[in-house]
Amino acid sequence: MSEAILRIENLSIGYDAGICQIHALRSATLEAHAGEVIGIVGESGCGKSTLAAAIINLLAPNAIINSGSIYYQGTDIFSLNKDAQRKLRGQDIAMVFQDPMTTFNPVLTLGDQLIDFQQHLEGVSISEKRIRATNLLARVGIPDPSLCMKRFPHELSGGMRQRASIAAALLMQPNVLVADEPTTALDVTMEAQIIHLLRELRSDYQGAIIVVTHHLGVVAELCDRVYVMYAGQVVEQGLVDDIYHAPKHPYTSALIACDPAHFEEHTPILPTIAGRLPDLMNPPQGCSFAARCVLANELCRTTVPPWVKISQTQSALCHKASQ
Amino acid sequence: MTALLEINGLSVRFPISSGLRDMFIPGRDKHINVLDDISLVLKAGETLGLVGESGSGKTTLARALLGLLPISAGTIRFDGHALKSKQSFKAVRKSSAMMFQDAVACLSPRMTIGALLIEPFIIHGIAIADRQAKAQELLNRVGLAADLANRYPHELSGGQARRVGVARALALNPKLVIADEPTAGLDVSVQGEILNLMTELKTQLGLSYMIITHNLAMVRHVSDRIAVMYLGRLVEVGPTRDVFKQPLHPYAKSLIASEPQPDPRKRRADLAIKGEIPSVLNRPKGCEFNTRCAIARDRCRNEAPKLRAISSTRFVSCHFTET
Repeated sequence: MSEAILRIENLSIGYDAGICQIHALRSATLEAHAGEVIGIVGESGCGKSTLAAAIINLLAPNAIINSGSIYYQGTDIFSLNKDAQRKLRGQDIAMVFQDPMTTFNPVLTLGDQLIDFQQHLEGVSISEKRIRATNLLARVGIPDPSLCMKRFPHELSGGMRQRASIAAALLMQPNVLVADEPTTALDVTMEAQIIHLLRELRSDYQGAIIVVTHHLGVVAELCDRVYVMYAGQVVEQGLVDDIYHAPKHPYTSALIACDPAHFEEHTPILPTIAGRLPDLMNPPQGCSFAARCVLANELCRTTVPPWVKISQTQSALCHKASQ
Repeated sequence: MTALLEINGLSVRFPISSGLRDMFIPGRDKHINVLDDISLVLKAGETLGLVGESGSGKTTLARALLGLLPISAGTIRFDGHALKSKQSFKAVRKSSAMMFQDAVACLSPRMTIGALLIEPFIIHGIAIADRQAKAQELLNRVGLAADLANRYPHELSGGQARRVGVARALALNPKLVIADEPTAGLDVSVQGEILNLMTELKTQLGLSYMIITHNLAMVRHVSDRIAVMYLGRLVEVGPTRDVFKQPLHPYAKSLIASEPQPDPRKRRADLAIKGEIPSVLNRPKGCEFNTRCAIARDRCRNEAPKLRAISSTRFVSCHFTET
């Protein structure tokens, strides 16, 4: 495979909480290649949003990067100065946010904002920028894009606004597109349409798409590869088919088993994962899933699990994965 | 089974603010029909799932049933009594309870959990000997630790707040519990816990549930019958298993087909439904679904279909149901 556009190595991020630190992300490693759709999936508190914020370099002010680096086309983005970091954002790495309501400025028309987003595009006149924006709105499936350019964000429905924010993110033809819960705020029929759109866009878009979500269905519909996260760690990664049909980490299996969409038949008692997330202020010594894992033994509780390579494309952070 | 709740031709209309212009144009309809001609029966001991997308009127229906909104037409009978006056609704609220959508926002931040659990008794003027013991009994019933009674709502996790919501709803031993999105915002592993708890309490206490949700995967497993709503009207009612197996209304069909499947091998190539939900302000003429329906004909654009019986258990409002 070609050189990764984006490579995250051993990234650990904590949030300063006064007397202690909350270890939101611990030794996360991830790779994204051009033309690929990556899924990052996990439940709340697993660190997926911190990871997304780190990729776009919009971490909260109290975030502390404890170790690790993010390489974008070979350069470590944390080593760049603020100005260079800002230039990457939007042009090279763009983001689609969860809530399409708050993506746009409510007092400016969409057209004005979509033109402003192109301010770093040199040697292009305003009218050309307007044409570019209109064409992109048409591409994301907005009927009558030139009318839409004159509208204010509140005049569009949620689904249309999410389409417009995808258009806004793609305006500068970024190499990496991060979509943080792109369909969570939408209805099922709109969700299906946005998934369909993202799938269509990937064919004419050269970069990597990273979808961050808690919804296993969205990942299954959209992604090529998945990273499963739990308590701040990536616990398993692999091709989407392997992860869904031959998961090796007990958490991945449990998570998939919990999804009620899985059962065809009426199942009155749904499976759950007993116990709760470990305290991220004092992450457990051994495996972070040990306390809730049915397979866990003494080794799991005391020793940090190794990355076990299951195949060329799949690996899991588990003592038991090799068995 | 006897009918616990009988809704007949229920309509709820909201006035739309009339500006100066409306004062000079007589005869303009200054209302929107949020609920239009809803007829539905809930049998004792049954779980009914009410599904639909945002704006379909699910929450409005729940609120109207408890007398939290004025009804413009139709009748509601609960447990043999017609609900009309304020007094009759107040009496109903003793034997029917609502779990509101946002579980955390339902709990007053300045009251302890214990006080919140006792609140229903005070509101309805029911004397209890030992408040502390009652609160602990309720906490125990929903699987929460007794010492939680002294905590404040912000100290709870989302799942715990839901459990408190369940405990509060069950405080007065109701016959009917209306649960508005009982699992919205919860992780899949916790979602199962809440649903299992609700199922368990249902058999223990002989409850009936009306579960309002947009989560089809969930409602499929917990409900006996489902009612599908679109733009304030019922489009299909039937036993859950039958409706999921063979939906009759084109909207129910596309809604079920839109749900992303957590299995990459079941990726859908086509879009089940195009277009957006129209606004209730411009309700389409004739069948409200004709703007998005694949089988719409002239008749659908002119004549609104009535909910009709297909078999003894299934009802659908479509002119051209293919059976």
